[in-house]
This record gives sequence, C-alpha cells and structure tokens, in this order.
Amino acid sequence: MDDLNERAARNRKIKHAVFMVLLIVLFASFIFPFLLVLINVFKTKGDINSNPLALVGSHGFTLKNFPEAMKKMNFWRSFGNSMIVTVSSTVITILLASMTAYVIVRNKWKACGALFGMMIASMVIPFQVLMIPLVSLYGGTLGVLNSRITLIFMHVGFSLSMATFMFHGAIHTNVPIALEEAATIDGCTKWQTYWQIVFPLLKPTIATVAIIDAMAFWNDYLLPSLVLGRKELYTIPIATQIFYGTYSTDIGLVMAALLLAMLPILILYMFLQRYIVEGVTSGAVK
Amino acid sequence: MNTNTMSYKLKQFMMFAGVTTFIFAAVVIVPFIYGFYLTFTSWDGVSAQKPFVGLSNYLSAFGDGAYWQALGRTVIYSAIAVILVNVVAFILAFLVTSGVKGQNFFRAGFFIPNLIGGIVLGYIWKFVFNRAFVALGNALSVGALSTSWLATTNGAMLCLIIVSVWQYAGYMMLIYVAGFMSVSADVLEAARIDGCTNTQSIIKISIPLMVSSFVQCLFLTITRCFMVYDVNLSLTNGEPFNSSVMAAMHVYNQAFTYKNYGTGQAEALILFIVCAVVGVLQVSIGKKAEVSA
Amino acid sequence: MKKKLLAMMLATAMTLSLAACGGDSGSSGDGGVSITIFNSKVEVQEQFENMAEEYSKAKGVNVEIYYSGDTVAAHMATKYSANDPYTISMVDAKDIYSLAEEHAADLSNEKWVENTDYAISVGGKVVGFPVCVEARGVIYNAEAIEGITGKEFNPDDYKTLDAFQGLLDELVAGGMAAPTGIMKEDWSLGAHFLGEVYEEQPDVEAYISALHAGTGDLAGNAKWNAKMDTFDVLKKYNYAASSPVAAEREVTEQKLAEGEIAFMFGGNWDWSVINAYDYSEKMGMMPVPQNTDDGANEKLVGGGSKYMFIDSSENTSEEQRQAAKDFLNWIVFEADGNAFLTEKCALVPAFSNINADALDPLSASVKKYADAGKLIDNYNYFPDDHLSKCGGLFQKYLADEVDRAGFAAEIEDYWKNTAPVEH
Repeated sequence: MDDLNERAARNRKIKHAVFMVLLIVLFASFIFPFLLVLINVFKTKGDINSNPLALVGSHGFTLKNFPEAMKKMNFWRSFGNSMIVTVSSTVITILLASMTAYVIVRNKWKACGALFGMMIASMVIPFQVLMIPLVSLYGGTLGVLNSRITLIFMHVGFSLSMATFMFHGAIHTNVPIALEEAATIDGCTKWQTYWQIVFPLLKPTIATVAIIDAMAFWNDYLLPSLVLGRKELYTIPIATQIFYGTYSTDIGLVMAALLLAMLPILILYMFLQRYIVEGVTSGAVK
Repeated sequence: MNTNTMSYKLKQFMMFAGVTTFIFAAVVIVPFIYGFYLTFTSWDGVSAQKPFVGLSNYLSAFGDGAYWQALGRTVIYSAIAVILVNVVAFILAFLVTSGVKGQNFFRAGFFIPNLIGGIVLGYIWKFVFNRAFVALGNALSVGALSTSWLATTNGAMLCLIIVSVWQYAGYMMLIYVAGFMSVSADVLEAARIDGCTNTQSIIKISIPLMVSSFVQCLFLTITRCFMVYDVNLSLTNGEPFNSSVMAAMHVYNQAFTYKNYGTGQAEALILFIVCAVVGVLQVSIGKKAEVSA
Repeated sequence: MKKKLLAMMLATAMTLSLAACGGDSGSSGDGGVSITIFNSKVEVQEQFENMAEEYSKAKGVNVEIYYSGDTVAAHMATKYSANDPYTISMVDAKDIYSLAEEHAADLSNEKWVENTDYAISVGGKVVGFPVCVEARGVIYNAEAIEGITGKEFNPDDYKTLDAFQGLLDELVAGGMAAPTGIMKEDWSLGAHFLGEVYEEQPDVEAYISALHAGTGDLAGNAKWNAKMDTFDVLKKYNYAASSPVAAEREVTEQKLAEGEIAFMFGGNWDWSVINAYDYSEKMGMMPVPQNTDDGANEKLVGGGSKYMFIDSSENTSEEQRQAAKDFLNWIVFEADGNAFLTEKCALVPAFSNINADALDPLSASVKKYADAGKLIDNYNYFPDDHLSKCGGLFQKYLADEVDRAGFAAEIEDYWKNTAPVEH
C-alpha cells in the first residue's frame, strides 16, 4: 500500500514537472513581445532599427522616449480624459446591464424576450456598419459630438448587450429565487430586493464585466476618434495616433506610449483578478 | 398587488430596463436602420446629396470580386484561428487547473495580452515579425526566420492567426478554467475509482460537461474573427499585394478610400448577415449537444 | 447597502458633471476668433503646433492644429458628415477636386494668387492654396558613392540607365554589396513610381483615356518599358532583394542616410525620416535614370503638393473665414510666415516671392530643378482606388510573383474596368 502511494506521488510529481515545463514555455512565448518592448523602449530609433535584440543600443541607454511620448500625446490631459470616460462608462454599463438582466431573467414577458434577442443579434454587427450613420445622426442632425457625455453614452450603448448577456447568465445560475421570495414576503419591493439581495450577489460578475469593459473603453480607438474632434477631449489612444501614421511609425514612441497606457489597466486587473475566474464561471454556465 | 396587469409589467420593465432600452435603441438600432437606408443611396460620404438609387449598391456589392475574395479569406482565417484559439485556450486551462505551483500567476500572465488595444498590438507584432524574428534568424542562421513572414501571402495570414491566438487564448482560457472548475471533484473521483485514466476522464467526463463553455468561447471567437479590423490594419495593412485584406477592411476601404459609401455599407450588411447566420448555427448546434450530453 | 448605492450614484453623477465641463468648449475663452487647421503632413506636426502657439499670441487668433492617422479622404468624410469641419484643411490635390465644389471658399481675390503657379482652381474659382513644392526622383548619398569611386559624384553623368548601371557595378565591385533600396509601400510604387509612367507620356490625358478605352497598349509603350527597365535594375541591386516586400521604410532610409546603400527612389519628404538618423550632408535628388531621348531623364516629377482650403459652410463664421485668409496671407507675405514655411518646416515654397536658402539637401535639389523649370507636372485625377489596387499589383511584380507582361496586362485590366474620373 505504501509502495503504491509512493509510486502515485512520484507519478504526480513527474506529471507536475512536465506541466510546469510546458507552462513556462507557453508563458515565455506569451510574454516575449513584452520583453522586446521592455528592451527596445530604452533605445534610440536608430538603435532599434539596427539591432532589435541588443540589450543596450550603441547609443547607450536612454529614457528619452518616455518624456517625448508624454509631451507629444499630452499625457496627463489624455490620461484624465481616458479616466473620466472609462470610469463613467463602466459604472453606468454595470448598473444598467445588471438591472436589465434581472428583469429579463425573472419575467417571461414578450418585451424582455424581444430586447434580449435584439441585444444578442447586435453582438455580431460589425462596427463599420454603424460608423457613418452614428456620426451623421449625432453630429449632422443632433450636433452633440465633441463631448465626453456623447462618447460615454455610445460606449454604454455598445457594451450593454455583452454585459447584459453576462449578468443574465450569472443571475440565472447564481441567484437563488428563494432568497428573493423571502424578501418579498418581508415586504420588500422588487426594486429594494434587487439592490439589497441580488446586486450584492453579483460581485464576481461585476468584477469581470468591469475589467472587460474598462479594458475595451480604455483601449478603444475608432469610436472616440469619431466622437472626440477637439484636442482637449482626446483620450490616450487618439493622442498616440500621431506615432503611427500612414507613412511612418515611430516604434520607440509607440512602445513608450504602450507601457504608459497599460499601467492603469494592469493595476485594475491586479485588484480584480481574484474575482474574475469566479465571474466568468457564473456567466459561462447555462 | 396584481402582478399580471399591463401597467404593472410596463412599470417594472421601464424601471429596470427603460434606460437600457433607450440607450441601446439610440446607439445601435436607430443607426443600424439609418445605415440600411443609406445602402439605397449613392452617397459618396462627403456630399450633402444622397440620391436614391434602389438596389444598385447591392448589385455592385455582388459584382465586387475583391469583396468576395476578402470574405472567403476571412472565412478561412476565422476557421483556422477559431480552432487554434480554442485548442490553445483549452490546453492552457487544463494546465492551470491541474494544481501546479503558481497557477494564479500563470492565469494572470496568459490574460495580459488582452489588456492592450488592437491597433498598438498590431504594431508591436509587426515589429516582432519584421525585425526581431529576422534579427534572430540571421543571428542563429535559421533560414525560415531570416526573411519576414509578413512578406508572403501565406506568411501574412499565418502572422494574423498567430497574433489572434496570442490575443484571445488568455481570455478564452478563463472561460474554460471556469468550465473545468464547474465539473465537480466528486464525479472525477468516482471515475478514477472506476479505473478511468486522466485522458479518459477528460474526454468522457469533463468535455461533455463543459459544452456550455465551448458554445460561449466559440461564439466569442467566431464573431471577433469575422469582424477583425484593428490588427489587420496595423499588422499587415492588407499587404503583401492586398492579399491579406479581410472583409471588414475591404468594407472600410470601399466606403471611405474608394468613396463608394453605399456599396461599402451594403457589403458591411452582407458581412453582418454572414456573421449572424454562422453565430446562430453554432449556438443552436451547441445547445443540441448540451441537451444530449 | 443603500448608502453604498448612493455613494456610487454620487460618484457617477460627479464624473458625469466633470465630463460635462469639458464638453462645450468650441469657442475660445479669451474672446478672440478661433480657427482650426487640419494638418495632413505628419512630419511637420510639431512645427505646426509650435507655430500655432506663437501665432495665437502674436495675432490674437486662437489656432488649433489637428492631425489624423486615417487617410485624408476618410477623415474629411467623417468630419463633413458630422457637420464639424475644420476652418482650414490641408489635403491632397485629388481631395480638393472632390471636396471643393460643395465645401471650399472662393479665394480668387486673394493677393497671393498672383505669386504662384501652383494654386488649384475648380469651376473657375481659386480654391486650393499650395502649401509647398515636392518632387520625386532618385535620392542619392554622394558621400557613400565617392567613398568607393574616389571621384566627385555628379548626377548629370548618370542620366541613362546604362551609365547608371555602370556606376552600380562599380559600387558593387568596390564593396557595397547592394547599392539600392526600394520602398515597397503601395503609395511609393503605385502612386509615385507607376505614376511617372503616365505623367511622362507626351499627352497624359489622352493616354489615360486610351487606357480606359482599352487601347493604351501599356506593354508596348516606350515609356512603360523604359521605366520598368530602370525598375528592374533598382530591383536587381536592392539590398532586400531576397524579400523585397518585407523591407521597412524606416530601415531602408536609415541605410541610405548612413551610406550602407547609395540610391533609393523617393521624394524630398523623405528627409523627415532620414534626418532622424546619422545622415550624411552630401545627399540630394536626381532624375530617374532611363534610356530615353524625351528629356524626362533630366527632370524630376512633381509640383504643388498639399493644398489648403477654407471651409465655406455655415459651420464656419465669416469672422473665422477672414482669420483663415489672414493666416494664408501671413505665410506668404510676412517674414515670420516665410520663416515658418521654409526654415521651421523646411518646405520648398510654392510662391515666387518667398526666398529659401536654408533648405535640407533634398529640398534644395527640388528647388534647383523647379527654378530651372525642370519639373514634370503631377497628374491629379487618378481614380481613388488606383493607388491601392495598382500599388498591390506592383508589389506582386516587386516580389517576382508576376512578370512584366502579366503586370502590364493587369494594369490594363484595371483601367478598362474603372470609370473615368470627371474633371
């Protein structure tokens, strides 16, 4: 018996070692581009061209890509704009989508079915289809472009479908209806029940939707470039477009900007990470 | 309180979903309908005139060989990319739920590519393929690496697929991780006692129980691959010789660069219909599999 | 729980009101007129930004500069469909022709019209203000050449392809393994190099019409064959010959700047890329060598490049239009404006009254040819898809995926199946 246990333990050890090696190889290939960015961001443009693999270029170690990128993209202003847009859009999306998902899951009304069906269908609309109509309706007819509120409104509009879909799954599987019935018996209205019982139970999904949407909003280029035509409103991705035009790419600046722009979202991810797997779980099942 | 009256239902619906419905309609539905109307005009995108031309945009869309080539290419790309993304994601998920040390660290690491936007991502990878790989190939005298893959038709397609796998595998991995975790340990333990090997229990037990994860992942990857634009633009920009122009990029060029806005919009609608049909088919097949499992 | 919710709502409301603050800042705060300028020459974006700051201070007109990574045509389309045009837009010549009728203000009565040969008129009205003169040709690095041949490099000695190829062989024998570079970008191949095949025809309009009609016979055309012979030579000596479509512009220009290669087909705008590296001062531009006796091998191809037009819609006020006209006059007639154009941006002026002595080597070559009347005009009426479609075909030829006859046939097909551009 002892022998058998030992053999099983040894087998497990070997298996884990093999897995570990596999993981490290895969991990290295996933992280390889980032390593290249880290190596090259401290080089001059000429050195990047002449030897992208050298740890230090022939012109030596330089930090100048960072201040130059920051100046050219007006970093702090763009950063502030990106923050406002991303935070507002994410919060509003979460509040609205979770409420909508709740009413859809708990009621078999025709309106709910129709709304949910349209939302699912809209997930396969290529953005190009909506681009010009959006611009000509909101700019040409309503004249409300060049405003962060319009951008937030549109971000929310485009992300509601996916978010509602995820909350739909979570409420369906993870919120026991008995809890709500108990609350109703205690005299809670639907509204109170939702905010006091259901919403708190959705924490993992909220974290997941938060990171996925925040990421999408933070990195989005096409929509903000259509809506925000004034410099003082530029978000980070639009402010960096100057580094990669039709005719040339300043790869050193692109890399510096990438690192600068990635930090906030990386920090958010670290904070929310432990919820995310849980969140995807509840969304995925059923 | 009577919960079955029209006014109660309406009040409840408006309270919870009213704002959502309004915003969704204003941002997605109305522009979609307006865009549909524009396909019947010969608007050039700039002019104030939008002359009505009936179905002629659809006729020119059907006669646009380059569009159908791009669409066919998109189907091939999507088929390969979807399979690879899901295979890699599944393997990753299996590895990071097998109980090895530091699995949380690995989960985080594989997810990181998702944190960068598509445009920047393409430029970084272009740098990797055009410069880093070539420098590496020359340094190690590896023939296959010493010229850029982006310079050949098949190579450019391969590059697009590699980047897609890199970009999406981490995200899909999380969904599969969730799937693995939802398969209860008891069931697996029982299988082991009955003499199942590891491989057998994955194929016979875990996979059938994870059908919903597959459905979700496939839906997400299929739609994203069909609509690929950002990475296409910054990684290959259609090169070499317009052989890597995907459907969305062709639509964009047709509408804005060639200034055939109506035709571009019509082609975009055809793309939408293709996406929708594939998406619906895939989900309904998945649901059937789920029921039978 | 209620409290938490309240806090969240408050936070949202706060960010929203913050968002609102920035929303309505269309007009400037200091009471003066505000104008916006769209710059489509990315290499002078920084100079434009600095100029805007100084100009705003000096003239009391608030100037803001914009740039877009999109193509000019696409960007203009979105701005106009949003009813949000720039006061002044800098676009390419072909965009002027498509936009002017509906959107450009009449500039016929401006003083600068008499000082230039390059202004664009549409429907009898002057609408396009030429920003600069640019030209295409072969860029050379004389220092690198002289380092091998040991004698002074005089581009006039290499007008014919035979002489040029002799020099290339000499360079190879002297140790420069591959003396040329080719930009694989579709705009360089399709619009610039292939463009010259049409532009150097005795009658461009007639030839383009013939191509549309299917009677152009490109494969048998003398100019086509002369140009393609030259291209074949450039291709043969290309440093990236093993994988020409992978050559990156930045890398090729660095090699040229630092003398690793000696020749590249390009234009004076390439200086903005070259000057980022350890460049040689002894560079310049020469006509594309070719075996011909039509004189084209003594001339560069080019002319006015990048045009500004002023928006004529009601989105721009009369006051803004006047401020925009003042700005154009400032460039042409004031010392600061001249200095901005020729010294800060290093552009070759399109106006006869502006002196330019401090130009970069490539622009100095262009000015020399322009002043001597040795510029072959740009043709500005190519169909919108010519660049990308024919550029793509040219890439195929560059990569040896198609031979010259096949390439000519594909281009003939393109023209036959494309509607003529009305002008």
